[in-house]
Amino acid sequence: MSILTIKKAKKLLGDARALRGLSLDLEKGEIISLVGPSGSGKTTLLRAMNRLIELDSGSIFFQGENITDMDPVDLRRKVVLVPQESVMLQGTVKENVQYGPKLAGAVGKCDVGRCLMDAGLSPKFAGKEAGKLSGGEKKRVALARALALHPEVLLLDEPTVGVDPRKVERMEGTILKFARDAGLTVVWVTHDVPQALRVSDRIANLKNGVVKEVKKAAEFRWEGAY
Amino acid sequence: MGGSILTGIPYTWEEGLVIMGIMMVMLVIAIGLSVWKKIGIAREYTYALIRGGLQLFAAATLLYFLFEFEYWYYPIWLFLIAMALMGGYTSARRAGKMPKAYRITTPSILVGGTVVLVVLRVSGAMPYKPQFVIPLAGMVFGNAMTICSLALNRLTREFETNKPTLETMLSLGATPKEAMEEYGRMSIKAALIPNIDSLKTLGIIFIPGAMAGLLIAGTNPILAAEYQIIVYLMIIGGGIITSIMVIALSRRLLFTRAQQIAEWV
Ligand SMILES: Nc1ncnc2c1ncn2[C@@H]1O[C@H](COP(=O)(O)OP(=O)(O)OP(=O)(O)O)[C@@H](O)[C@H]1O
Ligand SMILES: [Mg+2]
Repeated sequence: MSILTIKKAKKLLGDARALRGLSLDLEKGEIISLVGPSGSGKTTLLRAMNRLIELDSGSIFFQGENITDMDPVDLRRKVVLVPQESVMLQGTVKENVQYGPKLAGAVGKCDVGRCLMDAGLSPKFAGKEAGKLSGGEKKRVALARALALHPEVLLLDEPTVGVDPRKVERMEGTILKFARDAGLTVVWVTHDVPQALRVSDRIANLKNGVVKEVKKAAEFRWEGAY
Repeated sequence: MGGSILTGIPYTWEEGLVIMGIMMVMLVIAIGLSVWKKIGIAREYTYALIRGGLQLFAAATLLYFLFEFEYWYYPIWLFLIAMALMGGYTSARRAGKMPKAYRITTPSILVGGTVVLVVLRVSGAMPYKPQFVIPLAGMVFGNAMTICSLALNRLTREFETNKPTLETMLSLGATPKEAMEEYGRMSIKAALIPNIDSLKTLGIIFIPGAMAGLLIAGTNPILAAEYQIIVYLMIIGGGIITSIMVIALSRRLLFTRAQQIAEWV
């Protein structure tokens, strides 16, 4: 069953045709990687799925419903984005993780330590000031903050960039475990093709704002894919 | 037009012209100094002086006839609306790249100013005479405009510099109202600072216009101070209403209906 369907999405940003009629279908519970050269539209696609930007034409369906017919807040709590740039909100790591649940009136049900661990970070970080963390730590706080919303679809924009190489595989492992346990659908943007091969069920190769090919990870040949 | 507050002036208007001439000479010397020191404001200063002087005399002529006019209260409504429109357009220019900002500045200034004038009138502080209504309206709308500009300027700058933060909040399920709350509060506060500071220094380094006028006209200083306080409180109250309103209204221009940050930011 497909959970998210993108149909002929087009988006012009400034004078760049970021999406040029992109179509893609996501199965519920799958982990799909998006690879492709810089500027191929990966970030733009994730932002459109989170409805931070409006498509010029084409449409996106979440569980059969056009996202333009949904309440944006409702959509963003189900299809959750971890953006390419992790922006920390004022305050501690704990306050950052609780930000979403608090707005949803569910702060009582939010286990900050659990979220941090699922994002590959020690619960000891909870009391630290978020703005002062390193880039890789911020990345993981941003992930924990997203997990706290109990998403159905997780949109990860280069989640391990800036993370200490020795911790990357561990982070991949925790994300995978969490996603499989919760039955999450994950869209994982990466430039690291070996990573895509490690983590995903399928890999979509983007170029010039369209999906060039989608293959099962086992069948994906990345020589010359870019 | 007996009873004008200008009876306190100690010379005839012909003598006044001579005094003005003397002041002009002094000003020319001062501007000469600034040219010599290459401060680079002489041209703009001269322009501002001529423009301001002409505007003031035009306004005075208008007032002169208005004060004499039996049905003065008809044109005065036009006057008030014109003040709000002027204020709205002037203030909108401080809104950075925000398109059509006058749509939010004009009603904010109009409402903030009108509420104050109505309270001044109802409380008896403002007799329904053009000598009172026009200068008070000028002060009230003038202050509302300044506060509106400050609040909106600050808010649009906060948006331009904190776009990633705002977007992060939206992305985590905040409504536009929730995302901008803190920035709105900061902008209102910043806009009110000049008023608060002049309140604090009232009487020490700052004798405001209304009180100065009353003193020159020979009013008892205690009464003049009391009147000034009443006027001041009202003006500040109007400013608060205007700033809250302009921030609330700006939400429609800063965000799209789909709760995204507007493209122009
Ligand atoms: N706000 C913007 N204004 C103008 N052009 C933009 C804007 N955002 C993105 N673009 C352009 O849109 C195109 C797609 O950008 P996008 O960020 O989606 O690429 P990407 O695949 O995520 O690249 P990367 O791998 O470098 O992150 C690029 O050509 C980019 O320059
Ligand atoms: Mg990108």
